[in-house]
Amino acid sequence: MLVLVIGDFHIPFRSSGLPAQFKKLLVPGKIQHILCTGNLCTKETLDYLRSIAGDVHVVRGDFDEGYTFPEQKVVTVGQFRIGLCHGHQVVPWGDGESLGSLQRQLDVDVLITGHTHQFESFNRDGKLFLNPGSATGSWTGLKTEPAPSFALLDIQSTNIVIYIYQLLGDEVKVEREEFRKPA
Amino acid sequence: METAAARSRRDELSAILQQEVVSLDQLRSCCFHGVPDELGLRPLCWKLLLNYLPEKKSKWESALVQQRNLYRVWTEEFIISPGKQDLPEDAVDSSSRHDITCDDHPLNPNPQSTWSTYFKDNEVLVQIDKDARRLYPDMCFFQRSTEFPLRTAGSDDGTKMVAAEYLRRRIDQCVLKSNAIVKNRSGGWNISGGAKRATQYLNLSGTEEAHWEVVERMLFLYAKLNPGQSYVQGMNEIIGPLYFTFSTDKDKTYREHAEADTFFCFTNLMAEIRDRFIKHLDDSSSGIISSMNRLMGMLKEADEVLWKRLMELDVKPQYFSFRWLMVLLSQEFALPEVLHLWDALFSDAHRFDLLLDICVAMLILIRDQLLDGDFAATMKLLQNYPISDVDQILCKAVQLRRRVLDNLEQLPEHPLELTP
Repeated sequence: MLVLVIGDFHIPFRSSGLPAQFKKLLVPGKIQHILCTGNLCTKETLDYLRSIAGDVHVVRGDFDEGYTFPEQKVVTVGQFRIGLCHGHQVVPWGDGESLGSLQRQLDVDVLITGHTHQFESFNRDGKLFLNPGSATGSWTGLKTEPAPSFALLDIQSTNIVIYIYQLLGDEVKVEREEFRKPA
Repeated sequence: METAAARSRRDELSAILQQEVVSLDQLRSCCFHGVPDELGLRPLCWKLLLNYLPEKKSKWESALVQQRNLYRVWTEEFIISPGKQDLPEDAVDSSSRHDITCDDHPLNPNPQSTWSTYFKDNEVLVQIDKDARRLYPDMCFFQRSTEFPLRTAGSDDGTKMVAAEYLRRRIDQCVLKSNAIVKNRSGGWNISGGAKRATQYLNLSGTEEAHWEVVERMLFLYAKLNPGQSYVQGMNEIIGPLYFTFSTDKDKTYREHAEADTFFCFTNLMAEIRDRFIKHLDDSSSGIISSMNRLMGMLKEADEVLWKRLMELDVKPQYFSFRWLMVLLSQEFALPEVLHLWDALFSDAHRFDLLLDICVAMLILIRDQLLDGDFAATMKLLQNYPISDVDQILCKAVQLRRRVLDNLEQLPEHPLELTP
């Protein structure tokens, strides 16, 4: 099952739109589900996501005003419990220890957060921590020119294959890694 | 009604099947009037008539083993493990990060890539899934779970899964189960339940698969193996009765391998009628349009008044006979009648000439009603064919066939020289 993990668009405030190279890749009919870390900022972006996949889950980012997205969400895919949170609430931002505490609180196998605009994935105590970065590569107080990125998860019965898409210059770089749920 | 004729036919059939080398000609003439239900010989007869089993009995065993193994290999290859090669070969540790920009990945826009093929196949699979689910909706058979689900040889994590699970996952359109977690004003956490959508269909546990899922798998495999033809609606109606017959075999080993046997019989059958399912062959001599034209020609020959009437009303053959010819009449009658009818169809040496005779016979049998009615009444009649007695139709068809042959004066050595 293919699940797209994407977020931190900041359209139109910090970015004019999704890079054309990404738009070419994200076509309808391939992906079934989307987990979005928030900061869509406008309804148009949400509508765009809905055009890629029917099942879209969004949590509220610090710039999503006027929406009723929940702060946190727990989604179950097969044997995996996946926690979703924008991440501005977790201080220090992107810190492993603090994220670990949220992961235990939500009791999830995979914790997905955004906010730092920096792609990250690490395995800590047999749990997967994933940050898809910013899909538009918009600036943040932490970093001025982050590379646009998102992730695609192929969730199988006991393992997840993570495909990482990053825009470096004009080229999309694709990487792959695998997370196996400890028995 | 147990008549002496029926009893002798049964004895004759047993005798034919006892022989070391089964004579197909004898079998055809014997099966033409229907394989008796009580003996449970229909699956065997069909396998012979559809050239799946060789005539020599001594070769049956090896032929079956060979074909069933082949089927197993195909399911492994096309259904269970497609697209597992997107990892670079030098990557030993799959959990570390690898650059695969130049290799395959799910969003690969190259139409030749494994993943693109995977998504293209899914479109076919969605169509097959819709049709397989509603196969014979008034019978519970196809919704029930099968006795012999196809199991995978045991995947890497040691869990055995039924093969249907792989197809289920490929086109699962579900909404993920989710809970929103919201902090309320007093600082407590609220977990709200996500929307749950009940499935419309009977839910089977992970280790079971329904008969329609078996049908779905066979059709998908057929589409994969015949990319030029792929899947066309109507194939499900052809494979349905075959699968039903084979999976209700009295013999347990045959029942266990019903899937593989059905698949190959279906392939053999499709080889004879596939031209009707290919769009660009519609106008060719074996295509559906020329079949319908032949049908009308035969009707004109047999009953010109009725033919004229249909022409006057502007009832075009594609309004009714398209469906008749396409799915071998399996939609017009209840399943037991269809099986009986197919006994005759498969026994026809000039396979499926008889089908046209039967269609003409069906028209002539209701000629009085057809001559009376207006366009609407005629259409209604033809689309819900009123006669359910297949024997009556077959007798009429044989009569017609004989008359044509008499006219041509070439009666001898034809398998249909039987008493109607």
